[in-house]
Amino acid sequence: MPTPLELIRKKRAEAVSRIIGKGYLSTKRVYVGMATCEIAAGSKDVMEVFQKAVSRGLTDVYLSQKGCAGRCNLEPTVEVIEAGKSPVKYGKVDKDRAQQIIERHLKNGEVINEWLID
Amino acid sequence: MNATSYRIIFCDGTSCINKGARKLTALLRGQLAKHGLTDRVTIGLSGCLGMCEKGPIMVVNPGYTIYGNVTENDIPQIVEEHLVNGDPIARLVIQEDHLYNRFFRVFGDAKFFGKQMRIALRNCGIIDPESIDDYLSLRGYEALARAITEMTPEQVIAEIEKSGLRGRGGAGFPTGRKWKLTAAEKAAPKYVICNADEGDPGAFMDRSAIEGDPHTVVEGMAIGGYAIGAETGIVYIRAEYPLAIQRIRRAIEDARAHGLLGKNILGSSFSFDIEIRLGAGAFVCGEETALIHSIEGARGMPRPRPPYPAAVGLFGQPTLINNVETWANVPVILLDGANWFRTIGTETSKGTKVFALAGKVVNTGLIEVPMGTPLREIIYDIGGGIPFGKRFKSVQTGGPSGGCLPEQYLDTPIDYESLAKAGSIMGSGGMIVIDEDSCMVDVARFFLEFTQDESCGKCTPCREGTKRMLEILTRITEGKGQPGDIEKLERLGGMIKKASLCGLGQSAPNPVLSTIKNFREEYEEHIHEKKCRAKACKSLVSYEITQKCVGCGACRRVCPVIAISGSPKSRHVLDQNKCIRCGMCFNTCKVEAIAKV
Repeated sequence: MPTPLELIRKKRAEAVSRIIGKGYLSTKRVYVGMATCEIAAGSKDVMEVFQKAVSRGLTDVYLSQKGCAGRCNLEPTVEVIEAGKSPVKYGKVDKDRAQQIIERHLKNGEVINEWLID
Repeated sequence: MNATSYRIIFCDGTSCINKGARKLTALLRGQLAKHGLTDRVTIGLSGCLGMCEKGPIMVVNPGYTIYGNVTENDIPQIVEEHLVNGDPIARLVIQEDHLYNRFFRVFGDAKFFGKQMRIALRNCGIIDPESIDDYLSLRGYEALARAITEMTPEQVIAEIEKSGLRGRGGAGFPTGRKWKLTAAEKAAPKYVICNADEGDPGAFMDRSAIEGDPHTVVEGMAIGGYAIGAETGIVYIRAEYPLAIQRIRRAIEDARAHGLLGKNILGSSFSFDIEIRLGAGAFVCGEETALIHSIEGARGMPRPRPPYPAAVGLFGQPTLINNVETWANVPVILLDGANWFRTIGTETSKGTKVFALAGKVVNTGLIEVPMGTPLREIIYDIGGGIPFGKRFKSVQTGGPSGGCLPEQYLDTPIDYESLAKAGSIMGSGGMIVIDEDSCMVDVARFFLEFTQDESCGKCTPCREGTKRMLEILTRITEGKGQPGDIEKLERLGGMIKKASLCGLGQSAPNPVLSTIKNFREEYEEHIHEKKCRAKACKSLVSYEITQKCVGCGACRRVCPVIAISGSPKSRHVLDQNKCIRCGMCFNTCKVEAIAKV
């Protein structure tokens, strides 16, 4: 009979492999803020843009929601995280910016400096 | 030769500074210039990274390489091998697996986040709050499993006690002692409650914590249940937080499905489950005895203590109540250890505190900083200072129970005792910055209006006293203040503090008393000179149209009482007898031709 600690380690390993199976390591990870504050600032629309792009065949992207990181006046925020590169954090993302993040950053690897949170 | 752009962060905590971190920064700048790297290597500073014993610490991004015990001799090698050739230096790398570090990994290079330290909010913003897999992958529920497997309930309590954690809801009672008292009670069943009845105006720490990382609260509560011998936990959360409710509910269901809540957790003999109770949003229900009454189905009113809920709580049984943020700290203490947790913070206040930074600051937001961080650092380094070049006037901490501190207290380190000594309180974490455009009498009136409205009416000092204080404050702001009003407020405030039944009344006069103490001259001006220096009190300002007027007629059109007249392209005139001082003309004028006097 495994101990609770052994069981939880097994559960963690399973969780990690499920996450990796979804492309966690091999892709660009996109996190869209979806707390009450972010949603109030318009993040549902932003999420929709990313979801649509993924359903229309945008590959190599791991799309996830996230809670609020605390940067209220720059919400909605979106992070693009890629192994071996500095994490990129965008502020005040609306539908149009989301579309451009897809075209310029996710498809072409260009970091759009003027929207970065510093 | 690689062309990567690097971002280097030096830990700028006290310990690292003492070990020479700032000298290293200067040295590195020189080396960067020498190698022509200034274009693609930038340097930033962070607050304490919690690795003091290995300082000075520097972090190189991308890659999140952490170098520890860095000396002046190491800098040239770091530049040549890592920054020029792209090879990290193995002998300097330190492996750190503290839970807070994962947030820093993503956000640490941004100035707003660099000075923060996220323990309670460690996962907020970096995981999907609705995915138990995400939480599990970051050592979620390991603290609970460790407690059940390796620790007796007494050992868990001893660890929490040793950590120095104190209640984050406001009063700052030592958490370990509370657990011990509840554990010592013989009666069964016992209950564990999470107080998520966040009511301070403008505060959203608990909402954000639950929306961003609900599982940490669930795990913390389960550990609490194990420690005191309870099998039922209740999250008391206000119905105004639908998304937080949805996420905590989902977290509870997912945890149940994984055998992390319910009967025989992870195959052990420990059983624990959590229910959700919704509050209707009364401020007083954040007070623990009122909260218990509300869960029981009675009116949310406090009762005298003792007996404390630890002995006589929910349904008359021993009950352990902690706030959301307190619960969120618990798993970290068990995983990273009480000894590590104790290294963060000050002598009497360990760990970090979450604040909702709002008001007149450039960067408003939710922040978590080590205890002992000076107010100035929060407002200027993290908050980015006061916008539009205005002057700082005061910072209000602790919400409607707290006080307003003026400029001379800006170097006060944030901890329970220092804030109390300065005349305010830690509270649950509201922090409102006030600039020169706000009138302190009006600010005090605003907070008192809130507490007066929320007073449950059970005890006379709070019910009647706050009402009378509000009347006096209102007449002062209307220019009808009388000599002796300040003294009356002080006397009344003192009495309410002493005689009220619960924390709501005992702290309600604080905003008034602290503004009288620190801004007495503003009260005096209102009463004796009928003057409001901030020009915020409507009855004490009047508007004038100056010669800047271009005669566009915009003010004439918006004036609701037709007090403005004038023909196109000529200076308009305002009839003071008709003017109701609504300020519409002031807000409408595009050429700043309307002056407040």
